Amino acid sequence: MIYDIVHKTHYRYRSTVVQSLHLVHMSPRAMPGQSVRHHSLLVEPAPASRQDGIDAFGNIEIILDIEEPHQELVLVARSTIEKSAPPPINRISTSAWDALDRRLLHAAHERDVDVLLFRCASRLTVPTLEIADYAARSFAPSRPVLDAAMDLVARIYSDFKFDPHATDVSTPVTQVFSERRGVCQDFAHLALACFRALRIPARYVSGYLHTHPPVGRPKLQGADASHAWVSVWSPEYGWVDFDPTNGILVRDEHVTVAIGRDYDDVSPISGVLRGGGEHSVTVGVDVNIAAAATAG
Amino acid sequence: MTTAAAMKAEPLSNLLRTYRSREVSGFDEVLDGGGAVREHWQTVLDDLGELTDAERDLRTVRLARRVRETGIAYDIFADPNTSAQRWSLDLLPVVISAAEWRFLERALIQRARLFDALLNDVYGEQELLRHGLIPAELLFSDPAYLVPCKGILPNAGGLMFYAADLARGADGQWRVIDNHTETLAGIGFALANRVVHTHVAGDIFKDCNARRLAPYFQELQSTLTLHSGRENARIALLTPGPHHEDYFSHAYLARYLGYLIVEGHDLKTRNSQVYLKTLEGLKELDLIVRCISGKSSDPLELDPTGFIGPSGLLRVCRKSPHIVVNAIGTALAQNRGLGPYLPRLARHVLGEELDLRDAHRRWLGDADARQELFANPERFTIRKAQEGTGRPGQAALGWEARALSTPDREKMQREISLHGATLVAEEKIGFSTGPVYSPDGLVPKPFAVRFYVSRTAAGGYQVMPGGLAMSIAQDRAVALSAPDGQTRDVGEGEQAPHISLWRPTLATARVERSQRVIQSRVADDLFWLGRYSERADWTMRVLRGALRRVEEDSGPDTGRRAARKCLEVLLGSDLSSVTGTHETPPDVEIERLCTRLITTGLGSRTLERTLDGLYRVAHLVRDRLSLEAWQTLSKFRGGETWRKSLSAAHPVEILDLLDEGITAIAAFNGFMHENMTRNFGWSFLDMGRRIERAQNLSEAILTLFIPVPDPEETSSSLLLLLELADSFITYRSRYRLDPMLPLVLDLLLLDETNPRSLAYQLSAIARHLESLPDSSQGAGLPDDRRLIIALLTSIRLADVEAMAKEDKGTMLERLLMDQLDMLPELSNEISRHYFNVLDEAPHRAHTRADPSL
Repeated sequence: MIYDIVHKTHYRYRSTVVQSLHLVHMSPRAMPGQSVRHHSLLVEPAPASRQDGIDAFGNIEIILDIEEPHQELVLVARSTIEKSAPPPINRISTSAWDALDRRLLHAAHERDVDVLLFRCASRLTVPTLEIADYAARSFAPSRPVLDAAMDLVARIYSDFKFDPHATDVSTPVTQVFSERRGVCQDFAHLALACFRALRIPARYVSGYLHTHPPVGRPKLQGADASHAWVSVWSPEYGWVDFDPTNGILVRDEHVTVAIGRDYDDVSPISGVLRGGGEHSVTVGVDVNIAAAATAG
Repeated sequence: MTTAAAMKAEPLSNLLRTYRSREVSGFDEVLDGGGAVREHWQTVLDDLGELTDAERDLRTVRLARRVRETGIAYDIFADPNTSAQRWSLDLLPVVISAAEWRFLERALIQRARLFDALLNDVYGEQELLRHGLIPAELLFSDPAYLVPCKGILPNAGGLMFYAADLARGADGQWRVIDNHTETLAGIGFALANRVVHTHVAGDIFKDCNARRLAPYFQELQSTLTLHSGRENARIALLTPGPHHEDYFSHAYLARYLGYLIVEGHDLKTRNSQVYLKTLEGLKELDLIVRCISGKSSDPLELDPTGFIGPSGLLRVCRKSPHIVVNAIGTALAQNRGLGPYLPRLARHVLGEELDLRDAHRRWLGDADARQELFANPERFTIRKAQEGTGRPGQAALGWEARALSTPDREKMQREISLHGATLVAEEKIGFSTGPVYSPDGLVPKPFAVRFYVSRTAAGGYQVMPGGLAMSIAQDRAVALSAPDGQTRDVGEGEQAPHISLWRPTLATARVERSQRVIQSRVADDLFWLGRYSERADWTMRVLRGALRRVEEDSGPDTGRRAARKCLEVLLGSDLSSVTGTHETPPDVEIERLCTRLITTGLGSRTLERTLDGLYRVAHLVRDRLSLEAWQTLSKFRGGETWRKSLSAAHPVEILDLLDEGITAIAAFNGFMHENMTRNFGWSFLDMGRRIERAQNLSEAILTLFIPVPDPEETSSSLLLLLELADSFITYRSRYRLDPMLPLVLDLLLLDETNPRSLAYQLSAIARHLESLPDSSQGAGLPDDRRLIIALLTSIRLADVEAMAKEDKGTMLERLLMDQLDMLPELSNEISRHYFNVLDEAPHRAHTRADPSL
């Protein structure tokens, strides 16, 4: 499947921003099953300098210096991404979740530090005993890790209510847990806190989701959004993505932009401004199918 | 025993009588197992024994005074309701034998090399983690592990500074109880202690041959210069600011090394460079000595919650990795959980046995360690594995694991298992005891020492020949928590031939000074220092004027009216609304108003608020004030007592206290005037003072003479005005007449030779503005210059004789109203033009998407 994606973010400030510095993760990375055919990032006002780099997780990060006084800032990322359907997963055949130590810390083996990193709680995914208890219900002794993971993700989907007004960017996962509501970012953090409480390697994924209009209605432009989900590790399949907001195993309708321990590592745009006062932001994302499949 | 020897032994045994009588269970520094004085302590104790009791007490008092005056003990932002930890310095240093020192030196350097290698690996190839020499999850769970620094730190030139807290166990073995790899860890305190101790007691212990500290700092200086890659490097020490508990140490060290002291918002980053915002525009920095935590070093990439460091610093490090020392990310090596893994690491990385062990600690991410803890909870204290580096001795107390035997046991065990990766359990070790001087003689107390290690220009490491010894509470294993702030200097007792040591002036070692530049922030603070000191002076003068007129009873009516005028000067039109009447209030009411003006309740111009403001900004620019100026101010305010008595005093006593206050402010201003370099900083201090004075004077004249009072009242108002403006003597010596309106107006408005006149203030401001660098690019005059020209012209063109003749005072009123309109504008324009008034703000958006499938 080939997707054309337009991700537009428009900031409006109450007073003039004298200068600003931004860290941007809006350029999708290439990875197994996903290739980037085209990408561009347009910034208005034009930055005085722009530094493109690859961060420690392999994501594309861009640092922008804007030195021109401005009251509006617009970033438009356009990407053409080719996704192939991932190989089928036999969840039942994966290793027992409580036997991962044997695989990950085997004395004679070289440790896979890139996996171990994601077993550890990060600032936004610190578990509590209550969260650990909630998670434990899906993890009976010796249950295959991905089977248990699917169960947990499905439970989060049915136990929690999607509510864009319940949380903001700084809402702690404990509050999401106690109020049983939030948005995709919150559910991803909650799932990560659960997995990491049990020392199961899991990472945060930010990206886009191709949405379907209600039956019989045309698809609205700008109705899509940037999305977040999680990826869980098993010795058999490596990293496998789950979407707790939709309670599903991820197939080929999710486009990955960046991967990290939590939102802090991959926030689409974060920045430090001088001046500006209050600001409002509108985000519009369109994910459209450009072609059903590649020739090859 | 010869007579001479007996006489010598006598005072020493007196000194040690109390010492010997105390129960000492473990190892003692001074006495060996048989009760004899250890050899390396002999000289120090002999020297001390030769003094009389009175002399020893005197020296102790002088030490305390010196510590206070140097400012080590001062923590201005401490909550007055909590007993802030006082810093005290003992008369007796801790002495370490030469042989032991050689061992410690080698062992500490070995540890610095080990941590250096560890950091380069963890932020680089991670071979040590891949091969399981350190559990990866120990380091990855540490909030001090900064992923974005991966690939940067290994190019930064390695660990530059390291400090270790050491204590000797009951078995006589030294053990490391905490490591500090983040910043310089309070080295300024150790340096200040040495300077103070040498100053007060250097002559007593001159036989002890402690090595001087100066060569260590000289080496440090040349290492940093070399590291910066420039001969005339502009080096700055980056501090969180005066609110931080270590600020004294930062400022003292910066001053000693001749480096700038800067805060995050003084800096601006661009691609590969860091700039200092100065009055003359952006100046490139060559090296930043980091005294802020790594995590808070860059709000853009590292700390989405704070604004301490300059945004974008890390991307600069990507291009110029040498620019920050210690490199960002080094705190990771001080994780307490590493201890048990270090011996194996030393063998693997250095091919050496580890000379110096850590106190027994176990990382609770390890299941076996948790089992050990749960089986023997009473033996352990639980702590965070990473605590950061605060003020020496201020480590958090930890949590006694004994509670694990209570009914909540199961829940606590689960809690510990869940968060084990960020916790350690540490076993209590007894501490050795060393002597502390007290009026009853010497007393044994447990202690720990912080030693400092830094890189040398040749690429090795050196250990500072001294340290910071702190008393610690017994039973309180392990990290350095000092309950009483008692510190001691540390000296190494050489038995080698005499060399001249412990010179009273370490300042002789000061080498190059970087060019003095004024940060915009400092200019801003100095400007307000000027305003507040003038405002404090003025407020006290007005209050004094009012109270005098009530107390001195000089003809009841005019006295009271003038007193009322005084308060009007301070309160403006608010007075009527406060008293509820336009009538002259009775004496009692005036006194009550004065008291309220002193303390609280009436607007922002109370004396209390003004003094708070004065003290706050003075503290912010402390490193720019002369010692005398600072001392004058701290004595004055240091008086909580002064303020207390002021708010409780009878009016007559208040007058005395106000006199005292006015004198103190005058002395402060005098020291500033005499001691401050006439650079741009001075210009801003002086402009602040001049603007405030011009404004106060204009307000006073407007209040007293508009509307025009009757002749009798005019003359009492003129007297009052001359008194407030401190120009009575000038007037009398010039005119030998009773005050007359045109003459007084000429003296106080137009006379540019009278330092109290309005015209004098304005022309002084004009001169300062002329001298400042003009960074504005546009054509024509900047607004601040336009305003000062308008102000000055309006006053120079004024015709006071005509004004004095006017019945309604319209011209005078217009003149003063113009001034009062434009002066605040001028102040704002100066702020806008020269200071960075905009705060930084974070900028993040929530990622939200509806469920759709």
